[in-house]
Amino acid sequence: MSSTPVFRTIVRAGLLLALAIAVVGGVVGWLVVGSTGLVGALLGAVVAAVLVTMTAASILFANRFQDTPGYVTTFFAIVLGGWVLKFVIFIVLVLTLSGQPWLDRTVFLLCIIAGVLVSLILDVVIVSRARIGNVSDVELPGQTTGRDEGNSIS
Amino acid sequence: MDATTVLAEISGNIATVGYGLAAIGPAIGVAIVVGKTIESIARQPELAGRLTVLMYIGIAFTEALAFIGIATGFIFV
Repeated sequence: MSSTPVFRTIVRAGLLLALAIAVVGGVVGWLVVGSTGLVGALLGAVVAAVLVTMTAASILFANRFQDTPGYVTTFFAIVLGGWVLKFVIFIVLVLTLSGQPWLDRTVFLLCIIAGVLVSLILDVVIVSRARIGNVSDVELPGQTTGRDEGNSIS
Repeated sequence: MDATTVLAEISGNIATVGYGLAAIGPAIGVAIVVGKTIESIARQPELAGRLTVLMYIGIAFTEALAFIGIATGFIFV
């Protein structure tokens, strides 16, 4: 699929973003709140990493079934199923973790919101820089490989 | 007990109503994004790669509203 390099870059950028949030949020949380703020920021960064990368990762995984007959059904089942799963994970984690005494709830949630917002900016930048051919997924008779060739991100 | 209390009595945390409210808009939004992507891929299957990238951006922006809505409910509790 011609979109595979774009989604790989999005997943990579999301993981780097979570790392940056862990560092910045951890330092700020430690200075402002103390050790509970540090734990909140680190857990918030982990949750942000899951939330930010899960959709792109699910599309990457779903694209592996491109050559199967029920590709479109499988694709949307995986992507939208992953989307629902993401929200269930998010709500369960927030419900269980936000009441814990060893974690600062505000820092935890602010780290998640910061991760989601900054990831939007990253996504737009990555997609606007991506080079995807207009008709790159066409397969000519007798041609079986070469779909991912010629697509790159500048 | 006056009429207002009888008609609109709520006990517990009002933020729980916020989860539902925060989910309505993004649910409709993502449904439109995905539905239109399916339509587009059905019309032009060779554009599937481009369309899924655009669909991803649409989903990302729409679901951000849900995350912020649900998370702020917990922050301001």
